[in-house]
Amino acid sequence: MTTRSLHLRCSGRCLKYGPREYHEPAVVADRPPFEDLYRAYLGRIYAYVRAQVGSSADAEDITAQVFMNAYQAYARFEARNTTPAAWLFRIARNATLDHFRSHGRRERLRRTIEHQPVAEEDPSGVAEERITYRALLGRVAQLPERQRDAISLRHSGLSFEEVGTLLKCSEDAAKMLYHRAVKALKEAVEKEAV
Amino acid sequence: MSEPEDLELEALQRQLDDAFETTRPRAGFEDEVWTRMQAHRPAGSRLRDAWVGLVQAIREAPTVPMAAVAAVLVVILGAGVFLYSGLGRGGAGSSATSGAAAPAFGSEPFPLSSPGAFGKLPPPVLAGRNSAQPATGAPESAISPGATYAGPVALKWTGKLDLTIRTAPVFRYHEPSTNTADQFATSLGAVLVSRPAGFLGSYQTTDFSVRVRGTIQSPSREPSYIVLPIAQSFIDGAGAPMDLALIFLGEHSLAPTWQYAPDTVVSGDVAKVTLFRQFGVTGYGYAYLVDGNGDRYGAEVDLQGTRPISAIGPIPLSLESAPYSITSPELAIQSVLASSPVAASGMPTATLSSAELVYTLVAAGDHSFYEPSFLFSGTFTVNGTTYVKHVLVPAVDPSQRSS
Repeated sequence: MTTRSLHLRCSGRCLKYGPREYHEPAVVADRPPFEDLYRAYLGRIYAYVRAQVGSSADAEDITAQVFMNAYQAYARFEARNTTPAAWLFRIARNATLDHFRSHGRRERLRRTIEHQPVAEEDPSGVAEERITYRALLGRVAQLPERQRDAISLRHSGLSFEEVGTLLKCSEDAAKMLYHRAVKALKEAVEKEAV
Repeated sequence: MSEPEDLELEALQRQLDDAFETTRPRAGFEDEVWTRMQAHRPAGSRLRDAWVGLVQAIREAPTVPMAAVAAVLVVILGAGVFLYSGLGRGGAGSSATSGAAAPAFGSEPFPLSSPGAFGKLPPPVLAGRNSAQPATGAPESAISPGATYAGPVALKWTGKLDLTIRTAPVFRYHEPSTNTADQFATSLGAVLVSRPAGFLGSYQTTDFSVRVRGTIQSPSREPSYIVLPIAQSFIDGAGAPMDLALIFLGEHSLAPTWQYAPDTVVSGDVAKVTLFRQFGVTGYGYAYLVDGNGDRYGAEVDLQGTRPISAIGPIPLSLESAPYSITSPELAIQSVLASSPVAASGMPTATLSSAELVYTLVAAGDHSFYEPSFLFSGTFTVNGTTYVKHVLVPAVDPSQRSS
């Protein structure tokens, strides 16, 4: 089995996970310029939000709001207490929850289903893989909230410790939650395929 | 867990990695959000950033003598207080911004440079002739509503301009690129359509089109926007044309950040609202920006009732400033009188009775300048028609102007 590394635009110690290597963002002594943070994390935050809401339009709105909020709050960011990634994902998670509160879960599910990718959306062969990924994120969006969060945060590059902090549980509990979530996702995918 | 199941889970995890890694927003989204964030920055934040940038710059230049650092701090703090206080800013439609690190759009910082820092200045072109030639201000124009008097006019000076200042700031901007124009358009929410000849870009929203052009050499005009509504739309508001114009400009992120004096001219059912641009001159007050004919200009909004017809104005650009020595108004008018035609039988004589300090744009390639000038005004009458006479004379000391 080949092992590929996930290229995240961050630096820091390597955290071994399964067959893959993840780079955990380093805790920096001083705050980096916000623009650096913005350029490094915009795509990852968008992907995280996209996996939560299942619609690219909503994901853009929420992502923009996340960084507007982060920009205003950056003066209060304490690098000693948390990593920039964990801080940003907390803001993203809160913004996503606010979005659900204002739109209602039923509406979210309806939109998620409506936005399931179909082959006609992008008929080129090159885009086939992308459609598969979008479908996969669509499945993630339909998982229970904590499982969805565990997968999204973990695959956005956060360590289990950071996932646990965000989900208000221990690192071990976060690992457990994540593994259950992946199994649930696998079952959902298999069920869909039948 | 069985080994095959482990492998399946690992495969799924790899798919998830790839899915999250390849899911990214559409092209342009990153810059759009960044522009929006910059546009929403509070003035205090920008001032703070400017301060942090200054301190950082000083830290990175340890060889700068402490006395020099102190002097720079005093000057910049003074400028910061002046700018932050809102002095020298516009009316209802303006927003106070400051700081050398402020973004190009929505603000107009004036970093102070040492006297004469821009070197010898290019001469202005006034009403089709170079006033740097002998008389620095022979009669330049003769204007009357709807008519121009082209014949020779003798001049007489009866006015007085008490000017206590010996220097006045010269402002300089860097010629904007297509990228700058694109950023400006993005800040309005417009997207690029094309780059027609003579323009940096043509852009469009669902509501309006906007064209951006660079500096025009002759007659000199700074980089400007032209906004034309696409569909018939109406300004959601009530009030005088001036109020409506300010609402329209504000709604489209075009409210001037510079000092202005408003003026409205109504012709039939069309109202032309002009925000005459002014520059603050310490020890003098506000000096109008005028064109080569001595006519004031700035931003203009044409309205038909509450329907906007067009809006034209300068795109916001960062300005640098440096003080330059200026001649006295007396010397300036003497040179004008010396070069004016000698009164002769049948030749009208214009009585120049007022003078003011104004600014004129001097287009000069990569950088262009707003330079101080003296505007002498008066009237004369020919065949029962009264004409207004403007005489524009560069104020910057000739020794600091390139020939």
